[in-house]
Amino acid sequence: MSATRPALPRFRWRELQLVVLATAAVLAGLVSLATVNRGALVTALWQDIQASALVAGLFLAASLGFAIVRYRGDQTILPLVATLAGIGLVFIERLQPDLAALDPDLAGLASRHRIYLAAGMVILWLAAAFVPLDWLQRFKYTALLASLALLAVTFVFGTEINGARLWLTIGPLQMQPSEVVKLTLVIFLAAYLAEKRDLIGASWRFGPLRLPPIPYLAPMVVMWAASLLVLVILNDLGTALLFFGIFLAMLYAASGRPVYVLTGLAAFAVASWLAYALFDRIGIRVQNWLDPWWDPLDAGYQPMQAEYALASGGILGTGLGLGQPWRIPEVQTDFIFAAIGEELGLLGTCAVLALYLALVGRGLIIALRTRDAFLRLLATGLAATVGIQAAIIVGGVIRVIPLTGITLPFISYGGSSLLTNCLLAGLLLNISATTERGQPAGRRR
Amino acid sequence: MRRNPVFAVLGVALLVGAGWGVSRYLSHGQWLAVLAVAWLAVLFLAWPRRQKRTGPASIESVAKLGLVLTSVFAILALQLARIQAWEQERIVTRIARDEETGEVAANPRLINEDLRIDRGRILARDGSVIAETVIDDGLAHRRYPDPATAYVAGYFSPLLYGKFGLEATYDAELRGEAEVSAWTRWQDILLHRPPRGLDLWLTLDSSLQRYAHELLGDRTGAVVLIDVETGAIVALASNPHFDPEALVTTTAEERDAAAAYWQSLLDDSDRPLLLRATQGLYTPGSTFKTVVAAAAIDAGIATPDEVYRDDGLLDVEGHVIIEANRPDDTIEMWSLRDALAFSLNVVFAQVGLELGANLLWHYAEQFGFGQEIPFDLPVARGQVASSKEFLESAPAIADTGFGQGQLLATPLQMAMVAAAIANDGAMMRPYLVERVVTRDGETRSETRPRVWRQVVSEETAREVRDMMIHAVTNGYAYGAAIDGLVVGGKTGTAETGDGEPHAWFIGFVGDPEPRYAVAVVLEHGGTGLSGPLAIAREMLAAAMAQRA
Repeated sequence: MSATRPALPRFRWRELQLVVLATAAVLAGLVSLATVNRGALVTALWQDIQASALVAGLFLAASLGFAIVRYRGDQTILPLVATLAGIGLVFIERLQPDLAALDPDLAGLASRHRIYLAAGMVILWLAAAFVPLDWLQRFKYTALLASLALLAVTFVFGTEINGARLWLTIGPLQMQPSEVVKLTLVIFLAAYLAEKRDLIGASWRFGPLRLPPIPYLAPMVVMWAASLLVLVILNDLGTALLFFGIFLAMLYAASGRPVYVLTGLAAFAVASWLAYALFDRIGIRVQNWLDPWWDPLDAGYQPMQAEYALASGGILGTGLGLGQPWRIPEVQTDFIFAAIGEELGLLGTCAVLALYLALVGRGLIIALRTRDAFLRLLATGLAATVGIQAAIIVGGVIRVIPLTGITLPFISYGGSSLLTNCLLAGLLLNISATTERGQPAGRRR
Repeated sequence: MRRNPVFAVLGVALLVGAGWGVSRYLSHGQWLAVLAVAWLAVLFLAWPRRQKRTGPASIESVAKLGLVLTSVFAILALQLARIQAWEQERIVTRIARDEETGEVAANPRLINEDLRIDRGRILARDGSVIAETVIDDGLAHRRYPDPATAYVAGYFSPLLYGKFGLEATYDAELRGEAEVSAWTRWQDILLHRPPRGLDLWLTLDSSLQRYAHELLGDRTGAVVLIDVETGAIVALASNPHFDPEALVTTTAEERDAAAAYWQSLLDDSDRPLLLRATQGLYTPGSTFKTVVAAAAIDAGIATPDEVYRDDGLLDVEGHVIIEANRPDDTIEMWSLRDALAFSLNVVFAQVGLELGANLLWHYAEQFGFGQEIPFDLPVARGQVASSKEFLESAPAIADTGFGQGQLLATPLQMAMVAAAIANDGAMMRPYLVERVVTRDGETRSETRPRVWRQVVSEETAREVRDMMIHAVTNGYAYGAAIDGLVVGGKTGTAETGDGEPHAWFIGFVGDPEPRYAVAVVLEHGGTGLSGPLAIAREMLAAAMAQRA
């Protein structure tokens, strides 16, 4: 097989079909939203949805673009991303008028989100088609240093919003460095672990004891501790938890040794207990997690409103635009999942979870198909990132774990989050293109 | 070890089901622990057992990572099912009340609906309006035109204090939810049509209610007038009371005024938020002697003609009861009938002792002491004593025999006692809401009078009824007599330990068949001969005059 020159890939029908479906779903959402807002179907409807529909059309353009250049990558990543991002777009459009009525600063929410999403599609496309993957491997320490520097800069010059210093303001632009660092962390870990995988997987004998190869783990632990420390100082526990999860997932994938995971979890348990004992605000968080009704009008207000919203949705949801999810503070970012729960119901929330699971699964399949250790670990890390991030914020909103303020990938409002996640998806596609020949692997074997 | 998948799935399902039943809340510690254990169990069960080569970055470890993530998402879906399906109703309607300010945190979706909904009216039996909703510019304003009846409806304060009283008990009817189908409701939502609530027609008579307030004046107390045959509440007056209209908060501007008024209600030492007729607990004093007399006759211990010795003093194991009520100190032998008429403590202490702790407890409970009284409004629960041990000592039994001890009752309950005696021992279930009616006048539901419990035999009840009539014709309740009608009654004074005793009167009127029963209490109102008795007489006379 490897000896023969691969045939030209066939036209990407599967991807196109799925993207058409996703785009149709987004359009249906926008139309039903416009109908509810106006109380009736009217001819001016088109004006309501024009700008957003253009963005939805970008999904089609991206897919057609891939098809025309005979791109070899996976055909389900783009449709999944388009569906998730489309749901996000519809919900930001839906929330914008209500939020603007509460706070005029939020009036430009939807138009900014459209621009972010359009830019995200471009980034996805570029990352999928043009980023040379071996560069990433070569510059792993640069990536590490750059991410640490970025966090340090944020710590010194960052803007504090809601008590957490996670924003960097450059001129008119604001960005969330932790979102970018999330990617550079995965790249570094993949490169480092791929290089040292045999050493890490082996045992290190010390007299009669069989110990993990401590010397090879040390740089990673130091790196991980440093990033965690910075994040705790920056007061962004959600991202810290995410980094920790990525770290454990990749370490396990590379070594195949559960003992690392268990040690990590034990360390994490101790750290959480310490944090709980030391910081008041974490005590409040735990209180709000277990029973927000202890202070219904103040501290527990937000989780309680989310609870009301989710329950109001029931199984089928109130329908788009017919609920009142804007009553939850920060619904457009941390709590957008509760808005989905209210208006699309249990069916909607489970569908979103299934979409994430599909995306993660697809990412892991891409990982399994590559032979290259670095690429396999990179794909594993990227897929796990999406899954862990979604699980952390969803788990926080539905109170399986304490709430931490991170975004729901592809859905939450926010440029940094959307762009980096599109970049992540683009990299996954890029990895898949190194093995795929435009056809499902099953047919090849 | 081979794992049978059927048993495994069953086991996890059983675990989750148990946790679901045990834990009360979606993030209760127990429930979270169940989720964690379920997660680990699923993971353990699905974990591939056969050890393949688990080398670095192997297919195996990547696949296992996928398994872990999948199981996490499964747990998330389980929690979602609990919030959005299983406990949906409970969470949506959950209300939290701030202990300090009384402010209510409720689902803003329901509050928002309350602000728009054309809530049903609450009407007195004569058709006068107790509560109604006026829609102005899409906002619903609740109005309570008559201050004498308004508080009986409770209050409706969507933005601040929630709902109370009939407004809370009959919320579903007043909102109109009970009426429409899910389909109509969905249409209403789509077309932004506020649903229309159902009207409540009460048994309350607005003129008698106003008259009760006129008679009470600014004194602290309560009047309950009840239809003997049906248990329908005709008047239910409490003083002081609150003005629910001042608590209505439809707009943000009304908030501050309502909050200030609420605070003044909380600060008021007379506690106007307490509806004394149903929530005020008082020692029944001598009115309880009717219960003791009924118990003694029903148990066969005494007849109305049974003679007891009362020489002015009774020593019960060193606890001396002094008789102050004998109309003639030279007479030492009294029939039970006269003892009730002249409210002789020494005699009833002896009757109490003859009954003993068990029978006394039993009959007091029969008459509703310590029982949850079913009613449309919240009712405080009275008591025979705080615990049964109290009645283990003879002095305590003696004190309870003439209505002191640890007895506590609401005016509503004492009115029910009088009504039960007048109604051949059948204690009717009290009610305030007669009918639920649509705006078009179509009756949706109607309350049928129901016997709550047969407290004593018919014969006993008739004998005690005659004794109460005797108390009016020949005893201290003589002031309650009404020309041309048959009146029975019993006065009462309840020692409170501080200040003047509370004054009671319970009684009934008939023509000659008993029609209405009444209970009146005045806090620190002195003896029962003047105030409560006069109010009760006026109420009974007015009720009969209106009936004619």
